[in-house]
Amino acid sequence: MEKLLEVSSLTAGYGDGPAILDGAHLSVEPGKIHCIIGPNGAGKSTLLKAICGMLKIRKGDVKFKGQSLKGLRPDQVLRKGICFVPQERALFPKMTVRENLRMGGFSLADKSGLEKRIDEIEERFPILRERRDQHAGTMSGGQQQTLAMARTLIIKPDIVMLDEPSLGLAPKIVAEMFDIMRLMAGEGITILLVEQNALTGLKNADWGVVLDLGRTLFEGPADEVLSDPRIQELYLGGKKAA
Amino acid sequence: MTSLDTNEVITARKAYYAGLAGEADKGRSVWFPIAVLALLLALPALQFTGNYNYLIHLVLFTASYVVMASGWNILGGFAGYISLGHNVFFAIGGYFAGMIFARYGISTIILAPLAGLVAAVFGYVIGLITLRVRGPSFIISSLALVMIFKILFDNWDFVGGSNGLSLPANDLPVQWAKLPYYYAFVVMAAFTVWASYRIRHSKFGLGLRAISKDEIKSESAGINTRFYKVLAFAISAFFVGMAGAVWGEYLTYIRPNIFLIILVSVNMVLMCILGGKGTVAGPVIGAILLVVFNEFFVATLGASEINIFATGMIMMLCLMFFPLGIVGTLARLKKLPRILNWD
Amino acid sequence: MGEIIQIVILGLALGGVYALMGSGLSLVFGVMRIVNLAHPSLIMGGAYVAYWGFKLYGVDPLIMLPVAVVILAATAVILYKLVFEREARSAKYSEMTVLLTFALAMVVEGALGTAFTNTQRVTSPDYATDAFFIGDVFIPKGQLYAGMVSLAIIGALALFLKYSRFGYAIRATTQNREAAELLGVNVNLVGLVSFAIGIGLAGAAGSLVSFVFSFYPSKHWEWIAILMSLVVLGGMGSILGTVLASLILSVIAAFVGTYFGATWSTLTFFVALFVVLMVRPQGLFGEKPELA
Repeated sequence: MEKLLEVSSLTAGYGDGPAILDGAHLSVEPGKIHCIIGPNGAGKSTLLKAICGMLKIRKGDVKFKGQSLKGLRPDQVLRKGICFVPQERALFPKMTVRENLRMGGFSLADKSGLEKRIDEIEERFPILRERRDQHAGTMSGGQQQTLAMARTLIIKPDIVMLDEPSLGLAPKIVAEMFDIMRLMAGEGITILLVEQNALTGLKNADWGVVLDLGRTLFEGPADEVLSDPRIQELYLGGKKAA
Repeated sequence: MTSLDTNEVITARKAYYAGLAGEADKGRSVWFPIAVLALLLALPALQFTGNYNYLIHLVLFTASYVVMASGWNILGGFAGYISLGHNVFFAIGGYFAGMIFARYGISTIILAPLAGLVAAVFGYVIGLITLRVRGPSFIISSLALVMIFKILFDNWDFVGGSNGLSLPANDLPVQWAKLPYYYAFVVMAAFTVWASYRIRHSKFGLGLRAISKDEIKSESAGINTRFYKVLAFAISAFFVGMAGAVWGEYLTYIRPNIFLIILVSVNMVLMCILGGKGTVAGPVIGAILLVVFNEFFVATLGASEINIFATGMIMMLCLMFFPLGIVGTLARLKKLPRILNWD
Repeated sequence: MGEIIQIVILGLALGGVYALMGSGLSLVFGVMRIVNLAHPSLIMGGAYVAYWGFKLYGVDPLIMLPVAVVILAATAVILYKLVFEREARSAKYSEMTVLLTFALAMVVEGALGTAFTNTQRVTSPDYATDAFFIGDVFIPKGQLYAGMVSLAIIGALALFLKYSRFGYAIRATTQNREAAELLGVNVNLVGLVSFAIGIGLAGAAGSLVSFVFSFYPSKHWEWIAILMSLVVLGGMGSILGTVLASLILSVIAAFVGTYFGATWSTLTFFVALFVVLMVRPQGLFGEKPELA
């Protein structure tokens, strides 16, 4: 099967600092939810940042639809069709919800359909319509995450990368976030997700990737990863999983 | 697929983190600073063989900057609060000791510790106010401080306003006239560097470094960050004030545009950056390099405007290509000679 | 009463000039998180452009203004490419960058001092020493023109930021640089253009300053603290705030100057800076643009 995104022996780090990622690889198949797990400092966020162009790729390559993304800026990667929602959710706190959605379409060359597209999204996420004139900074964590995820839909990307979307959210809200992700995947948007809470992440994903020590240790179907005893011991906190 | 053995992963993880942290060599070369100090104390014997007043002046000048830069480093290097207004304490020390010297004839060398304490008290009070802010606000407040003190000293008739005051010169024969100040500065420099080393390796110093890395986390780790910072400010002001005290008598006058010009502040900062901010040996090396460089520049080009240009240029290049300074860079490359490793 | 009106008018005119001096600084901080301590020294550069234009060719400083804008903006592009581009990439305030701009200020001062000496200069078109009289109140033409031109330029800037697509990108970058980048804004280009605009404004301010104050290269240190007080009080990054702070503080300074003497009028700005820092301990910088 044709790989949508292929990361091979990737080395990356911050500034002149040590390499956080060293030999990470990853392959992403269209329309599936991929979950990257691993301990703190394993390089999970670093991997997403390197893919989207926020960090320089020192060695190795990232190929999207067969084309290398090496050396592209984040705004250029976005225009290729990869959207990244970082941990901080990348909202504009002093802009209204509607303006934030409008900023989501900044990269579109043709703005004619933008307002209609925003209306559609507001229809799907009623909370955003309700809060449309409120400043994004005043919303709750779950609402902000919803806004950040909904906003990626404006440009209809191929891949949406999410860095710990569940961070700081109540379990019920986390479940809602995964519902949204499944909805997006159902529309053919590929999800690449980093999760600190490995169990929740894997249970909701199709494909699991274990990243540790800056490299990929294991990847496979999510249920296989979940049931592997070694992975349970190392990353899932004992045997209670499965 | 990579093999996945539990123990292997855990061992590898340890090695990975150790590699990221880097390990330290704890050996010290105590003989080196003692030898340097002995050499400097013996240096004036050269005067028996000829006129080495210029050399004496250069060492004295360097020592005075070692005191100031190492003092600055306690706040700016260890705690990470960059002050561009430390010449205020230089002025406070200078004026306090200078005024008493002018009125009661007590040598500023005797007064220096007291002048340092007065500067420290000012530092403490000013720190209480300005250390409530961090980052750019703090730097700007320190600049504003210089402006305020400049206006105050320029208009304070009791201390001679912008013309300042003349202080009597000592009546020693010319080849010995500089020596009291020379010894005062060399001893102060040795004391400052020793104090800086002790602070660096104390619980207090550890707290300051934690503050410079992440103040909020330090606070939640139980460090009384406010007290630590203010104390660092006061100690730092103490050393700078002490240097100021003797500097006035050495020059035989005190005047706002000697103490309160921006170049004095810049020199302290630049010496620390050049040598290695936050290290013990850095400010010393920075002071030596910058004084030598300045002498060379003034001797060849003269004009002070070019001097300002060159100082700014060095500082820019240093910050852009050499931000860790000499000691910091060598340490990072693991090539720091043991005689310079006091961190 | 006449005296009070007089003081207020003089204060406002001067405040207009300060507003322009400060707004470039504010813009650059907003977009790039750079506290540009070299801004006042670059204003000085603009003042020399206007001065020599008038002195050598008799060109009115108001006509030299666009020339100064272009020269300074071009300088800004070079500086950005050589010095600030990589700093801007970190998109975070850092002590190192402040020190870097501080060093740059020295370089500019040293260069201007070497080229033009530290002699006091002032551009002297006819209107600089002329005045309008309305009853007892006199309005110096120089200050009036300078203040009005300043406010007009700031108004144009505000319109540009509010309504143009590029202005939209600038505002987005100011609020959350990372987010703007991830939504397709070329933040490096935004940084470059904002820096050029900011320093261009310094050039414009310099031409106006050249006939309002006498100047010499090392005078920029005095301006740094004054301008910082304006932008801190106004909320760093907020141009409207800077304008308001300039007008208010300048009027207060004019009163202090009239009743206590000119020396103390500059002290108003520095004391105001301190008071703001004390009243809002986090400083007006303290407001984080990112969502927590």
